[in-house]
Amino acid sequence: MEEDVKKVKKPGIVSPFKRVFLKGEKGRDKKAQEKSAERRALHTVSLSQPDHRIDPDILLNDYIEKEVKYLGQLTSVPGYLNPSSRTEVLQFIDNARKSHQLAGQLTSEQDAVVSLSAYNVKLVWRDGEDIILRVPIHDIAAVSYIRDDSLHLVVIKTAQESGGSPCPSSCPELNKSQTLSSLSESGAVLVEVCCLLVLAVDNKAAAEELCLLLSQVFQIVYTESTIDFLDRAIFDGATTPTRHLSLYSDDSSSKVDMKESFEGETSPFPFRASMEADSSSPSASGPASPQAKAASEGELSTTAAELLQDYMTTLRTKLSSQEIQQFAALLHEYRNGSSIHEFCINLRQLYGDSRKFLLLGLRPFIPEKDNQHFENFLETIGVKDGRGIITDSFGRYRRAASSASDPTANGSSAAAGVEGGDGAASDEGPEEVGEASEGDEWDRMISDISNDIEALGCSMDGEGATP
Amino acid sequence: MDITECVGEIEHGEGGIGGQARTRRSRNWSTVTMGDLRREVSTTSVMALYTVMYPVFDQLEKVNLSAAQTLRAAFVKAEEENPGVTEGFVLKLLEKKNQKINYNECLLRMAAADVKEFRIERQEPGFQELNERAHALKHILSTIPDEINDRVGFLQTIKDIASAIKELLDIVNTIFRRYQYQYRHALEQQKKDFVKYSKSFSDALKTFFKDGKVLNVFVSANRLTHQTNMILEAFKTAT
Repeated sequence: MEEDVKKVKKPGIVSPFKRVFLKGEKGRDKKAQEKSAERRALHTVSLSQPDHRIDPDILLNDYIEKEVKYLGQLTSVPGYLNPSSRTEVLQFIDNARKSHQLAGQLTSEQDAVVSLSAYNVKLVWRDGEDIILRVPIHDIAAVSYIRDDSLHLVVIKTAQESGGSPCPSSCPELNKSQTLSSLSESGAVLVEVCCLLVLAVDNKAAAEELCLLLSQVFQIVYTESTIDFLDRAIFDGATTPTRHLSLYSDDSSSKVDMKESFEGETSPFPFRASMEADSSSPSASGPASPQAKAASEGELSTTAAELLQDYMTTLRTKLSSQEIQQFAALLHEYRNGSSIHEFCINLRQLYGDSRKFLLLGLRPFIPEKDNQHFENFLETIGVKDGRGIITDSFGRYRRAASSASDPTANGSSAAAGVEGGDGAASDEGPEEVGEASEGDEWDRMISDISNDIEALGCSMDGEGATP
Repeated sequence: MDITECVGEIEHGEGGIGGQARTRRSRNWSTVTMGDLRREVSTTSVMALYTVMYPVFDQLEKVNLSAAQTLRAAFVKAEEENPGVTEGFVLKLLEKKNQKINYNECLLRMAAADVKEFRIERQEPGFQELNERAHALKHILSTIPDEINDRVGFLQTIKDIASAIKELLDIVNTIFRRYQYQYRHALEQQKKDFVKYSKSFSDALKTFFKDGKVLNVFVSANRLTHQTNMILEAFKTAT
């Protein structure tokens, strides 16, 4: 700084133009230097080479920042854009620069900070820290690195923000005065659109580092999602009741009493021997013996207790303490007379999109009178038939849900197939006699379950729960 | 009733019908079963018997039926009396042949093969589907060794496993709802065991994605395969 001043003050004629020009340039340099001195240090860690591996915990529980230049964001780009095609991507970028949608020259005014975590990519201005935009990871379709002479571009293809409409294939820009119907009438083919977030970095190494970091973010996110999908599949299968637990009498024609023929001491099955000791005959055509009834009620309590245990364990891992209290309050309201519709809506709001599968675990606890509404609600929010949850490559998750939804249709044919063997009707099986007491038992269980969940909500005060 | 009481009730409940079910029973050697072995021995040791040795006996039957049947019965009895003897036998054989292989990986690869002793013969709706879905799950699990080192492919495999587990549990639940069993508690216990090992498998995957060690995944997958076979065996012998 002082050297510059001395240079200006050298004896001799100095062109006034030069003086002004140099002074201006020096001023800008000075400003830039002052800026760098003022700028905060980035939140970053050293990455292991050569693949720039980062500890997944940093992306899950922390974040990492990198310096970039933000050139701009192109919207309403046709979704069929191939992010691997240098030509295609550069064509869009060149057109955008010509129409001044993207910055032409790179200056310090484009300096920005990209903040990466497992949740989103956030872009803020380097100076002032004003947020430019935030893209959730699930909205990112692809990341490309393009070297254009001295320019090192990192282009992120993302979903268009909600509210964006498909645009005609012939026109990348959406003409807002046109409605979709008029576009259809004109014969235009509507295509999905996306956005291109265009960043520039200093060099190839920085570009590769950014791409590899994003790649690791994708790995973490999709690994977590996949394990979550596995856990949900197990949870759903485990908590689906093996008998109708709601307070209504089942269609007895769909039930078949499987009389096992007793083969005496040579039977390989262990339970035959133990059961034979308790009852004189394996026949189930008469009224239930007190022992069988007690066993049925005992099994019912055990089943309900197990379901409760499973569901409470899940709640503790998926909801925060405040959310558990909110859940308890909603359950309390429902038990005290609020409608099933309100209960479902409020729960859906509480769980959000990422945890709506938790509604499945409530199935055993919904009384019969509300069962139909509850099942319909699950379908509308895309939980029952698999919508909104990752499906496998063959869509088997969907097929499983639909094929398991109607057991009674096949039940009657099963009844016809087996009846002939023993000649006894299945109408007077032990299950029917026990149903009235099952109803009372279930009413008590539902009250107990509600009380316990409310108690869980209170006990969570002050505890940290992992959402 | 709080959670600790729930757990206490469940544990005490095991002393009833479920507890009696676990007592040893006389065995009909002509129809080999695995009932007691499933809880008394380690998973891989009993898998050595039906995954490794049974196919050998099947082939031997074509050569000498009587000798094959005698050998089979002898191995089953030996395994029951001395859990782990079959696995020890197989491992020793491999050692003698200087075969340097990953035993758990091999066992998993062989898991897809159908064990006819577990196949349910009943033709009523649901049972054949149970056979198919169990086979489908075992088949996908057996592909783990080939996919585990490719992250993208492995994630897809896990999704397929998740679907297969769900489908198996769905058909088990459907059969429960459709039919009445006098020994329902034992079957439900078997379902619970299957769910427990499914959760363990999920935990093994989480650990793998942190430490990169494949062995625990193979062991856990083998346990899940075994539980799948035990579900088949439970429904087969209950009907």
